[in-house]
Amino acid sequence: MAVTFSDTRMRDRIQLVFSLGIFALVALLPAIVRNEYWQGVLIVSMYFAMLAAAWNLLAGYTGQFSLAPAAFGMIGAYVTGLLSYHFNALPLVGIPASVVVAAAIGFGLGCIVLRLRGPYLALTTLSFAEIFRLVISNSIEITRGDLGLNVPGLFDHRLTWYYVMLGVLVVIQLGLYFLLRAPAGLYLRAIRDDEIAAASRGVKTVLWKTNAFTLSAAISGLAGALYGHFAQFVSPELGLLSQTGIIVSMVVIGGLGTLPGPIGGAFLVYVASEFLRDFGGYQLIVFALLVIIFGRFFREGLWGFFRRAIERTARRPAPATSAAE
Amino acid sequence: MACLSIDRVSKFFGGLKALDNVTFSVNEGELVGLIGPNGSGKTTLLNILSGYLSADSGDVVLHGRPITGLRPEALARLGVLRMFQLTRVFPRMSVLDNLLVTGSALGLPEAEAEGRARELIEDLTLTRMMHLDAGQLSGGQRKLLEFGSCFMVPPRIALLDEPFAAVHPTMKEIMADVIRRRHAAGQTFLLVSHDMPVIVELCPRAICMNAGTVIADEKTRAVLTDPVVIEAYLGEAAA
Repeated sequence: MAVTFSDTRMRDRIQLVFSLGIFALVALLPAIVRNEYWQGVLIVSMYFAMLAAAWNLLAGYTGQFSLAPAAFGMIGAYVTGLLSYHFNALPLVGIPASVVVAAAIGFGLGCIVLRLRGPYLALTTLSFAEIFRLVISNSIEITRGDLGLNVPGLFDHRLTWYYVMLGVLVVIQLGLYFLLRAPAGLYLRAIRDDEIAAASRGVKTVLWKTNAFTLSAAISGLAGALYGHFAQFVSPELGLLSQTGIIVSMVVIGGLGTLPGPIGGAFLVYVASEFLRDFGGYQLIVFALLVIIFGRFFREGLWGFFRRAIERTARRPAPATSAAE
Repeated sequence: MACLSIDRVSKFFGGLKALDNVTFSVNEGELVGLIGPNGSGKTTLLNILSGYLSADSGDVVLHGRPITGLRPEALARLGVLRMFQLTRVFPRMSVLDNLLVTGSALGLPEAEAEGRARELIEDLTLTRMMHLDAGQLSGGQRKLLEFGSCFMVPPRIALLDEPFAAVHPTMKEIMADVIRRRHAAGQTFLLVSHDMPVIVELCPRAICMNAGTVIADEKTRAVLTDPVVIEAYLGEAAA
């Protein structure tokens, strides 16, 4: 028997429709954006959108403020890169391996930080991310250190990459939507809102927090692996804290704890960062300021503006029909 | 038959003895009031019974099964459901979803959980607010919602910590009515409250604690006229 939608579920549904609208727009963009460089920018935006969606699952829906999303992307990229470099493994082997290894490390990190909250959780995940980056950077004989690794490509045509990345992003978003609709979605949000209350109502908080860490890491690992094969090069720079900062700003500006927020935020921030590239490091200052402004005044991010517009439209009374009609 | 047995439970916070060999039991279907002045150890005891604190010594047994040291979610799954003194709801989830969390976590199929949640929402007169986020409710309505969460699945024992504190009389009466009806149907309760008229009306038996020990455990009217209890509440001169 179908369950009646509560408002939370209706909101998720509206957000999914909105996300699909963004994807439809992105699918049509190559008709206008014919320049390969800008198509590449949009593909990298999709990589960031995957990382942002994964981080949003953890921070926005489960309340676990991890500072390691970029590190998991880097781990995913290096797993397939190293398999290819040392064992000539095909991407079809390397990419699933990236997902599995990132998920396993995410599970381990989830177990370590289970009892941590707030700044302690953030600092522990940050330390984890830096340790991994430094290990990769300094294991020169295995990883070639800061020189990075050349990774084989997967497709010859940029447009093929474009639509493969978009397809994966759509699958991730649909997966997250169905997860949120399921009881798991209730448990994750309950943990986010009040972990103590969630446990007192029978929610297995340890299990669900670990699951969220594992799934988020797996998605990030997949994103990293795909990016590695797209860019045909991976380096420890993928795991820099500034990369995590960009992911956080994408989610906060788009709308933390919403489905379309991280996707829209990723495209906006990354495309904007390309326009601001000439200003060097100043682009990060712009995004940091935007995060402060959104965090202080617009907690729902850009999604909040759209939500209010949708609600206003829904509340508007229908035009009265005349008696003659 | 004892539903919940507490045997010589003690708890220290540094040098402070918060609970000192607390021993009593709550029988199946009983509604027991737990009273005592502030700082007497009532909430500490409830925190131990619901798994948020571990006892330094002593045992807690639920229907013959030792439950000392179990985690809160494990205790909830065994039927120990708890309402907190400071209201705890999920503010960014709708009223309906707040209840569905408990129903789903405790194993109800989705459709059944939704049916029960809607019944409870009606019982608690929260129908108009059903789709609002819990964070948009008034303090009293949040209390009602948390109270309702304890009954999504009939608990083996409901531990209610100050459900009537700072609540409008109408809402107080709604909760009291639910307690009365469920008690009549055989539900077991341990009810912490400072509201003596409600304790007298609802609870046939009361336990009074002071300074971490049980100082009286008998029929409610007898407890309230016990000089030791009066002294604990009002001082030696009043006794």
